[in-house]
Amino acid sequence: MATSQVHGLPLTRATAPRTSSRLTLRHRLAKDLRRNRYVYVMLSPVVAYYLIFHYGPMYGAIIAFKDFSPAQGILGSPWVGIQNFQDFFSSVYLVRLLRNTLAINVLDIIFGFPAPVILALLLNELTSPRFKRVVQTITYLPHFMSLVVVVGILIDFLARDGLVNNLLVAAGVPATAFMQEAGWYWTLYVGSGIWQAVGWGSIIFLASIAAVDPTLYEAAVMDGASRFRQMWHITLPGIMPMVVTLLILRIGMMMSIGYEKTLLMYNPSTFETADVISSYVYRKGVLGMDYSFTAAVGLFNSVINFAFLIAANRLARRFSQTSLW
Amino acid sequence: MPDNVTRRAFLRLLGFGSVALALSACQQAAPPAAPPGATPATKTIAATEPLTLPIVSQPLTLTYWAPMSTNVAASMKSFGEMGCYVELEKRTAIHLDFQHPPLQQEQDQFNLMVASGKYPDVVEFDWLHSYAGGPSKAIKDGVIVRLNDAIDSYAPNFKKLLADHPEWRKQIVTDEGDLYAFPFLRSDPILLTFVGPVIRGDWLSKLGLKTPTTLDDWHSMLKAFKDQNANGQGTTLPFSPWLSSIPGGWNAWYAAGAFLRHAFVGAWGIAMGFYQVNNTVMYGALQPEFKDFTQTMRTWFAEGLIDPDFPSTDQSSFDAKVTSGRLGSLVALGGNGIGKYLGLVKDPAFKLVGAPYPVLRAGDKSLLGQRDDNYPGNGSVAITSANKHLAETVKELDYGYSDAGHMLFNFGVEGTSYNLEAGYPRYTPELMRNPQGLPPAQAMSRYIRGNFNGPFVQDPRYLEQYFELQVQKDALKTWLEPVDDRQMPPVTPTQEESKKFASIMNDVLAKYQETFTKVVTSAEPLDALTGLPAQLRQIGIDDAIKIQQSALDRYNKRG
Repeated sequence: MATSQVHGLPLTRATAPRTSSRLTLRHRLAKDLRRNRYVYVMLSPVVAYYLIFHYGPMYGAIIAFKDFSPAQGILGSPWVGIQNFQDFFSSVYLVRLLRNTLAINVLDIIFGFPAPVILALLLNELTSPRFKRVVQTITYLPHFMSLVVVVGILIDFLARDGLVNNLLVAAGVPATAFMQEAGWYWTLYVGSGIWQAVGWGSIIFLASIAAVDPTLYEAAVMDGASRFRQMWHITLPGIMPMVVTLLILRIGMMMSIGYEKTLLMYNPSTFETADVISSYVYRKGVLGMDYSFTAAVGLFNSVINFAFLIAANRLARRFSQTSLW
Repeated sequence: MPDNVTRRAFLRLLGFGSVALALSACQQAAPPAAPPGATPATKTIAATEPLTLPIVSQPLTLTYWAPMSTNVAASMKSFGEMGCYVELEKRTAIHLDFQHPPLQQEQDQFNLMVASGKYPDVVEFDWLHSYAGGPSKAIKDGVIVRLNDAIDSYAPNFKKLLADHPEWRKQIVTDEGDLYAFPFLRSDPILLTFVGPVIRGDWLSKLGLKTPTTLDDWHSMLKAFKDQNANGQGTTLPFSPWLSSIPGGWNAWYAAGAFLRHAFVGAWGIAMGFYQVNNTVMYGALQPEFKDFTQTMRTWFAEGLIDPDFPSTDQSSFDAKVTSGRLGSLVALGGNGIGKYLGLVKDPAFKLVGAPYPVLRAGDKSLLGQRDDNYPGNGSVAITSANKHLAETVKELDYGYSDAGHMLFNFGVEGTSYNLEAGYPRYTPELMRNPQGLPPAQAMSRYIRGNFNGPFVQDPRYLEQYFELQVQKDALKTWLEPVDDRQMPPVTPTQEESKKFASIMNDVLAKYQETFTKVVTSAEPLDALTGLPAQLRQIGIDDAIKIQQSALDRYNKRG
């Protein structure tokens, strides 16, 4: 996102010079710098930010190939080659960790990603501004709740004597200890995630809906389009670039799952489906102060994420007009 | 990792239940038979300087990193506000500038501080377990300094303590004989045992049952609770093995924390994790008895005698099960268990009694109960390599082991937080019946460190007063009964060993806890247990046992 801002209007103007090709590159650069000096000044803090906080620390990733000890420092620690990667790949849990991580992410993309889009489209159809505001506030609220509270609610509601089971029993269905059933874990994880994030996630789509040209709707009404047709043929295509962009970014996080929620939600009866890469790394790397191992797995995740991101962008470019680059 | 877990559990448990018999009173009374120089200190070091107050003539400030205690945090922002530290500064003229990490983030912040290379003058933490690679590695890494010579020269009180208690010294030194911290010590057995089985006493008398001693007694009692509708609403949960044990990410690993404290499983003479028999290290899950134990729990679970939700319980829902009168028996702390629930439940009929650790046959003595080491690891104060006032710092820390310092940390200031009644230091009503309504644990923590930890020897007279109820004292007595000669002492694997050990145990625990919980709850057939030892061996449990064994051998050789 930030890169597209960097490549905004001023730069486009600067990189399309009408200078003759007789001039050397150095001359052109100097001329460009002179002509667009204020633009470069405005750009410099952003560049500095990325250099200092995003590129600078990258050298620290070399500890993935070292046996890092804080006392010896990043450069002073001994090299161990790909030992840390081997440790990870030889883990007896590797298959199950990969499966759980990917499964939860795929489920979240299938069910979690469209949820805010649908909510935004539905909110857009509401005619009473008052009601709309109430709905928005209620759906935003969970976003501001701590994960500890959200999982606490889950545990209380889903306990054998909790609200959900009381309702089920009243309806004649036998009670289930949902939090202890490995088969329910993915559903609960993704479902509670949707509940928490759907309202907040819809904001960006509401904003892009607001940017759709109102004359298009007027024209459609003239042609006799129903509300659903208007949504289908005007609103949805109008926000599609935003949807595709966010989808590509989301797919680029295919290997990432926050460990906090997993740690709060899992227990020995659900390890089978609950243990993901990040929770495993947390236990093995962070609690054990094995930072090199953590860095190695992090690096591995980033590479896979990057591959997913590029693949998703390719596909998006092929099948729609929108892509990140 | 089980060692590590025990240590983490302490952080929590100490705040409430644990205590220690400071023998220092007796020591001081005894004539100084062995002069300090009698220890094999053949090195040519000047005789120990006596401790004179104030320690410094010019004001001196030392920065002091220490984890906050929840009980102190209830009404204060820094240890510096506590009565004992205000008084300490008056006496020694050294100002301690406390730096506290946010609650629950202690380990993270500790790791960050170590990694940053910028250290305060002293750091109080669990130096025994929390530094990756152990305390020797911390010295080798140049984070903290070896204290043997400095203690020899400037710490007369602490030196005498070590000479008088070689068995404590053994727990405190590293395998190489290095002293790395001023430790928190608990001497009296009543301070080392604080967890045990607890039963609804009123249900026992209602159903005409006796306090159970054998597993069969327990079984018939739990059945009676269930079948005779002990709570009158048909929602009785006879027993829950859930026990709050570990903060943070490890909690989920131990759905049945009670068994980690050797309740029930100890009847077979095995532990859930590592233990030793005649200095041979064993691992519980590999023993044939483990199958018998798991099978028994599985039967109980199938009969509805165990809370079906135990793997996904948390503290608040567990508390609710006790206070709403559904739970018939549990494993709990004397202070923050029995004391807490009796305070919360207003129904006068609600009674809790402590029960002995169950045994297989009547007349047997339980082989394993809960008993901690004198030196738990936490609350020990190390001096960092950044400290420029080594002598003064050692003297300041040594003061906690002197007679006056012992009273200061355990009881505070006479006339304010305690009064001497015929030689017995009795806490004032300000602490025990706080006018602002603070519970005793929090009110005490405004004045003293005796009710949690710190660089001193804990006094059992604290617990005698903190356990106000007779039932708490009685419970403690029954929990002290197990033989307890099978626990692992506080061993320290070497740096290479501990890294390998942590890596193996992380995978072992996942497999082991998962299989155990699933078999007990019938999510997997009993046969899953038969394959467990082979699976654990494949992960490398034998290597982990070897590491513990060599660490134990080194421990036994410590002088």
